[in-house]
Amino acid sequence: MPEHASVWLVLIAVLAPVTAGVATIWLPKSAVALRVAVALCGPVTAFFCILASLSVGGLDRTPNGEVGWLPSLNINLAFLTDGLGAFFGLLVSGIGAMIVLYARGYFGKEGPTSKEDLARFYPLLGFFMTAMVGLVLADYTLLTLLFWEMTSISSFFLIGWDRYNKHAVKLGMQAFFTTGLGGLGLLGGILLFGDTTGVWRWSTMLEGAGSIDWNSSGVLWAFVLMFIGAAAKSAQWPAHYWLPGAMAAPTPVSAFLHSATMVKAGVFLTGRLMPAFMEVDQWAGVIVPFGAVTMLIGGVLALNQHDLKRIFAYTTVSQLGLLMTMYGLAGYTYKGPPTIDYDITQIANHAFYKAPLFIAAGAIGHVASRQLPELFGAFHKHKAICITMLLAGYALAAGPGTISFPAKELFLYAVYHAAEEAPWLWLVMAMTVATAMCNVAIFVRLLTTLMGWRFGMKAEPHGHDNHDDHHHEHHHEHGVMAAMIWLPGLLIVSLQYLGGLIPPLWDVLFLPFETNANYFSIDKGVPSIWYAITHPSLPLGMSFLAMGGGVLLGISKLARHEHKDIHDKIYPLAYFLSVTGGGKVFRLVQTGNLKHYMLFILGFFLLMFGWAALPDDAMRQMVALTPGSGYGIGILLGAITCFTALAIPFTKARIIRVVFLGATGFSVVGIYIVYQAPDLALTQLMFEIISVILFVIVLRLLPKEKIVKQALVGKVGRVAIAASVGLAFGWMTLTAASSDPEFRVGETLAQHSYGNYEYNAAGEKVQLQPTALDTTRGGGGDNIVNVILVDFRALDTYGEIAVLGLAAIGVWSMLPRRKRGRPDLNPGPHRTLVSEGPNANPHIAEGGAA
Amino acid sequence: MSSMLLRTAMRLLFPLTLLFGVYMTINGHNEPGGGFIGGLILATALALYRMAAGPGSLWDIIPVHPRVLVTLGLGFATLTALGPMLLGLPVLTSWTGDVPLLFGETVHLATALVFDLGVVFVVIGVSVGMITRLSEECEDLDDPTHPPEDGTDLSQASGKEGAA
Repeated sequence: MPEHASVWLVLIAVLAPVTAGVATIWLPKSAVALRVAVALCGPVTAFFCILASLSVGGLDRTPNGEVGWLPSLNINLAFLTDGLGAFFGLLVSGIGAMIVLYARGYFGKEGPTSKEDLARFYPLLGFFMTAMVGLVLADYTLLTLLFWEMTSISSFFLIGWDRYNKHAVKLGMQAFFTTGLGGLGLLGGILLFGDTTGVWRWSTMLEGAGSIDWNSSGVLWAFVLMFIGAAAKSAQWPAHYWLPGAMAAPTPVSAFLHSATMVKAGVFLTGRLMPAFMEVDQWAGVIVPFGAVTMLIGGVLALNQHDLKRIFAYTTVSQLGLLMTMYGLAGYTYKGPPTIDYDITQIANHAFYKAPLFIAAGAIGHVASRQLPELFGAFHKHKAICITMLLAGYALAAGPGTISFPAKELFLYAVYHAAEEAPWLWLVMAMTVATAMCNVAIFVRLLTTLMGWRFGMKAEPHGHDNHDDHHHEHHHEHGVMAAMIWLPGLLIVSLQYLGGLIPPLWDVLFLPFETNANYFSIDKGVPSIWYAITHPSLPLGMSFLAMGGGVLLGISKLARHEHKDIHDKIYPLAYFLSVTGGGKVFRLVQTGNLKHYMLFILGFFLLMFGWAALPDDAMRQMVALTPGSGYGIGILLGAITCFTALAIPFTKARIIRVVFLGATGFSVVGIYIVYQAPDLALTQLMFEIISVILFVIVLRLLPKEKIVKQALVGKVGRVAIAASVGLAFGWMTLTAASSDPEFRVGETLAQHSYGNYEYNAAGEKVQLQPTALDTTRGGGGDNIVNVILVDFRALDTYGEIAVLGLAAIGVWSMLPRRKRGRPDLNPGPHRTLVSEGPNANPHIAEGGAA
Repeated sequence: MSSMLLRTAMRLLFPLTLLFGVYMTINGHNEPGGGFIGGLILATALALYRMAAGPGSLWDIIPVHPRVLVTLGLGFATLTALGPMLLGLPVLTSWTGDVPLLFGETVHLATALVFDLGVVFVVIGVSVGMITRLSEECEDLDDPTHPPEDGTDLSQASGKEGAA
């Protein structure tokens, strides 16, 4: 197979989920099993295509082949299947397949809306999976951004799944705006980075890291902007509020998007940047504080929740903070190499216990309740679900025997080593231990409550009525499909124990993806629990401290009540402020008073005119006016124009004003005639006639006029503004007409009006040489004005008639015909020119008289 | 607004004005005139006709809603705009040439004329539409048999659909 075949394999992997998802739309509603099978094809195809492309191209940082798309914008379809990207691609498609099965179990078969739910869910899920697989595999930076935004959009639809529930929709918008704002940061970062360094591909960035000045300000700000995007997506403090809010989504979505995949996009991006960007001096200084604070806040808030999904959402926030910190620590070194080890194992560890936790939480919410205190002793009723949850919970607590334990150890080692370079990291160490204690405590509470042991949480007799959990009537299913509600979770969590108990097997599966192994050599594999016990050190002590403290905290009476997160107010407050602020600005600008609008427009025009004209020498020079013969009539007409225009503000009755306005227009017509502009004169004449007719009609419709005494100052001010606008226009015209002939287009237009001809003295057409401005093409007409209108500047005319049409639509829609149907349609009482006589229609005669 | 004088004058003026408008439009490419002026002249003629002959009379001449004219005009203009693109030419490129007529005569034409016709239709549609619509409002005010504007008269509104 040729090497570049792998680009097509990856392209198939990217497009397979959405294709399969969309294909389910046309399946009949009743074909549930078929629907699941088709939907399953997507992620499974993606999974095996990525594997196949790895076997063809291998895990390296050189993308094989590309498909051209928008080369001019630096977006082509090229994919980077290095360790990080390929691992994420496999993770997304693998867990995606599990979620397709789980959704079948979750939405059920017999429920009132099950079939509709499934029919709606799979296309959206496929859309999301495509976006996510594309995001992690794209090689072009802007292609990553494209998929990044697609995940935000699909996430919005999935969070606002319950579309008749306003609260859910609001939470969906909250997530969308927060991550979308981050996406803007990412866009800015990518553009700035590309502009500064000329690098538009991740592979170029990774390979050419040596040739880039990593401490130029452009790169620094690009990094900060990209981190904003990553932090918003991965729910880093203070933008972490959207993730617990996103739990309004159905549990399959929470388990997939908001634990294992989408929220990891930010972590992924940081991991993508890390090998190159850790050269930036501020790398650790920017990332570690946010990551560490997120980690601690998430852990503490998780302990203070009762709703299982919220508990796990906050632990996700906490774990995302930990992963960010892990990448941030790569900015420090220990004995030479950066302090980062086995980042893929860390990420896999989280996915392999968090998705099962959500799956189990959704399952137990389905059959019993999602409120932990109400689940006291639930183990005895729902054994399979509770076993899944407790197995995953044990991994959450990083208990020995899971891959989670060495993962936590690795993190503690990294902090411990980096702290030699930066002593303030001891604070991060303390925060890590505190977070780990919270996680252990959560597991202890889960265990004691579900088993019904002492120290478990018990529901108070009242007060839990208004929780928005999933209390609908569950239709119990039997057989293999009923197991779908917990079996996928069990399958995923088994990988945790595989890694914890049989480390060599884990190494076989996941070591190929690892690229960062510095302190712990890659040859020896991920350190197992035996390594930790045989090499007692401070990190091991910290682990045991966390476990002991966590157990004590778990059985204590501390933090047993629900507490709200104060950060939940950030989004509503920002929303409120922007809406009210926007409203204030709107009311300030949109007064509804025509006078104010005109003042705005004309004032702004004067400002711009002054700004452009004052520094321009040509505009400040006095134009030499050489009056020709017969200017007397022009001056007279001009005087009439000015007089009638000035009289308008000082007359009171509307009708008189209209008459004055008409007089202004007609005297302008006179000027046009005198100075031989027949086209303009005719147009102006017809326009004046029609506008006077319109004015007269509109005046009939206006309410009786109230003579309001207007302040003379305001009136004079408005006259002054209007006069200066007129003078400015006049001045512009004069300067334009008297400027250097070289720049005058009039002659060129005249030459090209018909063709490239000129009339010689004998009145014959003479062909001209092509000029720089034009070739021999002409408008085919002798009337320059019209040729300009319909040929040279026809696009302007096109715009004008479109505006005219819009104005008419405005009149028709603002004055809808309420009574007679179509205009003039009702034959009613009317006369033609033939049916004469004043008595033929008394009604019209009255109307005419009135 | 009807008077015998106007009505009588219009019988003579109306055809002449229409003719003038059409002449202005067609001849506009070489002499003073053009689509915009032609359209305005035609619209003025129609508006005057309506004044003379009363409400509803325009329907006898143009039995379509003015918005149809506007659509038609914009359609013509769009056609001349996009047509050249199919031939690989820039938007709105005009073709000029001599079109043979009978008896060996030729007439010089430009496809910009089609664009001009579009302008004519839009101008007529907009002006006549606005004037008609606003005049109807006035006539409703003057109509003593008509109930005040409260939108309660639904019986006639239903007739709207039938008329369509």
